[in-house]
Amino acid sequence: MTSSAVLQAINGTSLAALLFLLASGFTLTFGLLRVVNMAHGAYYLLGGYVGLTVAERTGSFALAILGGGASIVVLGYLIDRFLIRHTGDNHLAQVLLTVGVAFVIGDVSLAVWGGDSLKVPVPVALRGAMELPGGLVYPTYRFVLILFGILVGAALWILYRKTQIGAVVRAGVDDREQVSATGINIDRLFALVSALASFLAGMAGVVGGAFLTLYPGADWEILVVALVVVIVGGLGSLEGAMLGALIVGLLDAYGRWLLPEFSYFVLFGPMAVLLLVRPRGIFGRDV
Amino acid sequence: MSAVLPAIEVGDLTKEFDGLRAVDRVSLAVAAGERRVLIGPNGAGKTTLFHCITGTLRPSAGRVALFGQDVTRLPEHRRTALGMGRTFQISNVFAELSLLENLVLAILGTDRRKWAPHAPVGAFEAVCRRAREGLGAVGLAHRAEQAARLLSYGERRQLELALALNSNPRVLFLDEPCAGLSPSERQRISRMIGALPRAITVVMIEHDMDVALGLADRVTVLHRGRVILEGTPAEVQANPEVRDVYFGHV
Amino acid sequence: MPRAGRIALALTALTAAVLLPQVAGPFWTGLVTQMYIFGLLALSVDLLLGHAGLFSLCHASFFAMAAYTTAILQVRYAVPTALAAPAGVLAGTLLALVLGLAVRTRGVYFILITIAFGYVVWGVAHRWSSFTGGDNGVTNVPFPAVGAWRVESHTEYYYLVLAVVLLCALGYRILVASPFGLALRGIKASETRMRSLGFACGLHLYAAFVVSGALASLAGVLYVYYNRFVNPVAASFPVSVEAALMAIIGGTGTIVGPFIGSWIMLGLRNWVSSFFALYASVMGLVFIAVVLWAPDGLVGLAGRLRARAQKAGAG
Repeated sequence: MTSSAVLQAINGTSLAALLFLLASGFTLTFGLLRVVNMAHGAYYLLGGYVGLTVAERTGSFALAILGGGASIVVLGYLIDRFLIRHTGDNHLAQVLLTVGVAFVIGDVSLAVWGGDSLKVPVPVALRGAMELPGGLVYPTYRFVLILFGILVGAALWILYRKTQIGAVVRAGVDDREQVSATGINIDRLFALVSALASFLAGMAGVVGGAFLTLYPGADWEILVVALVVVIVGGLGSLEGAMLGALIVGLLDAYGRWLLPEFSYFVLFGPMAVLLLVRPRGIFGRDV
Repeated sequence: MSAVLPAIEVGDLTKEFDGLRAVDRVSLAVAAGERRVLIGPNGAGKTTLFHCITGTLRPSAGRVALFGQDVTRLPEHRRTALGMGRTFQISNVFAELSLLENLVLAILGTDRRKWAPHAPVGAFEAVCRRAREGLGAVGLAHRAEQAARLLSYGERRQLELALALNSNPRVLFLDEPCAGLSPSERQRISRMIGALPRAITVVMIEHDMDVALGLADRVTVLHRGRVILEGTPAEVQANPEVRDVYFGHV
Repeated sequence: MPRAGRIALALTALTAAVLLPQVAGPFWTGLVTQMYIFGLLALSVDLLLGHAGLFSLCHASFFAMAAYTTAILQVRYAVPTALAAPAGVLAGTLLALVLGLAVRTRGVYFILITIAFGYVVWGVAHRWSSFTGGDNGVTNVPFPAVGAWRVESHTEYYYLVLAVVLLCALGYRILVASPFGLALRGIKASETRMRSLGFACGLHLYAAFVVSGALASLAGVLYVYYNRFVNPVAASFPVSVEAALMAIIGGTGTIVGPFIGSWIMLGLRNWVSSFFALYASVMGLVFIAVVLWAPDGLVGLAGRLRARAQKAGAG
């Protein structure tokens, strides 16, 4: 029992690492660009599929991650530039538009990669299981994923909190006019954040596809869980995405383990309660 | 005199934004039926004080009482039900609705029939009649069916006032009702305020000193979130400190 | 349009609706029945979207909750229609009482939270297979029967749906013109002003949410008796978002708009899927096209085109 509980904690944490990759991009694009991009789940799935193809052709997991991320950066830029930009600050229009984009991406992916569950091949070094302190045996890949998530999280946090670019982005989250007034090219800054978010989503698809597998519908499943992360943590907050991912990852793991048929309740129930107390999430502010 | 409860009593009210004190331990009491004008330079905290009294904002500390009843913790709509009415500094009318609908909402706000789902608004004849009268009182009766967005700036101010007057207030809070108006429109509005029955207590923020001093029984001067003086219009005008912080900057 | 013209148009439409099953075959009768049902669902979404300014993306939940409840009661427990149908509406409405919690939030948060809520319901329908039948759902739902009176064919059911939808449209018309409906439009226009006038805006929106959920539930019950089965697809996100799109295409804040939108969407889907496998892509492109070129629906698009034609004529 206790060792299972520990295993579930590690499971939850590794899922949290993946959710963070997706949710951080979503939350940053909202915070800075005020854009709600519902195609983020489709970016994840498509990035995963592209990475899968790259991995099958080259045999390199690193190239798969790069390929998955880069392809979404290009696609995301085009969608931003030619579609989302036309919606201005209208969130309703953004949601409808990006849902439409997600439908198209999902449908085309189905036509190209088919309806079966596909798994991105894990590099040989990360296959199999490893023994953790205390005698627990755990899949190496998922353990490395936790480390990877922490690494990316730390990098993002340093970028966001400790660098000049991060300072400008944070100022932009607070007050966009103010940043424009300082003479910084805000369009380029937006494009940069947007590209980062796209890359994170595409990369998440490859990383997630290696243990959750890729299949039609995975785009929406992961998106909704990422939305819960963002709602719990507070829309627009990087720290919120970290904490939210951890909470949601753990809830999901324990929910699936203890109440398999109602795991969705376990996941969303606390969100509903939180909503009653703090409608804007833990780190959320009035916008 | 001492047995009569003040219409509004504010005690040590403080409002902070990110550590900045917009309102700093303000205390004031407005007697029932009084016309009180708040003056002070921009950024003195007048509007924030209004927001805290009417419930738009939660004060960081302090108390607000309406005719002796503590309303500090009550949400805004409950305060309105108890008799607070207000206008906004920037006209806040229902742009897409007709003037008549604007007034109907003002009347229904403190009326249980606002929940009625079973009959069209037109079937509530008494409400509609009152709404037309309310429009007539501000000289807008002939435009009752038009959308409020078609009104001129000055007309919007009149509608704004009509909304507050028809929400059944015992205490009326007017946030710069004459701001941005032409001299003739100003006169019209200040005449209307002057003609209000004494059953309604009026608390008003006003920059126009002629309007303010003409209407006020007493004047409260705010500066940097604090009350620096309270007195009759004549006392306030004679005070050197007020001249420094206020008249000196006009 | 003058009053006489409107009445004439309404009568013509009504006559056409009544005659349709006699003139057209079962395929068209069935398609139009679905158009009524999804039009009603879109109408329920529009009570929030067009009047109160809330963009809900969880209305498939009430629709499916009602459909499942009625189906399970009829099929598994042999409960008669007279109880199973009201129980379905009740169950969907109860769910709306819970999910109505979402009105604590506004704007983007409201949209995201309703999406998440919608997913919980879908997830339960999908995963709690011992009760909901999992992906297969509940099948073999009979036609409705109350006492000695029973529906025997899709044509008869068509008339039942038509009658229910007309009654709903009538009730809806009164509701949105009532003080309650006016208050919703007031909240959409300026919530701060409404609060200062004495309205408890949250409570008003909550009530609207529940009424809207009840209407969606009714559509769900109508749906399950037409479709004869229900599976998790009924609760899925695409149903919610398409219902919203129907309201937007037809024009929000109207009564015919959601029905026109439902006709367009279902007609388009039927036509496209008959020759093109990627019809989900086509639907996606419709979403994009509507946002880019007809954000205020066909009514707005027609107005803008007319204005442009006039301008071109004048210039």
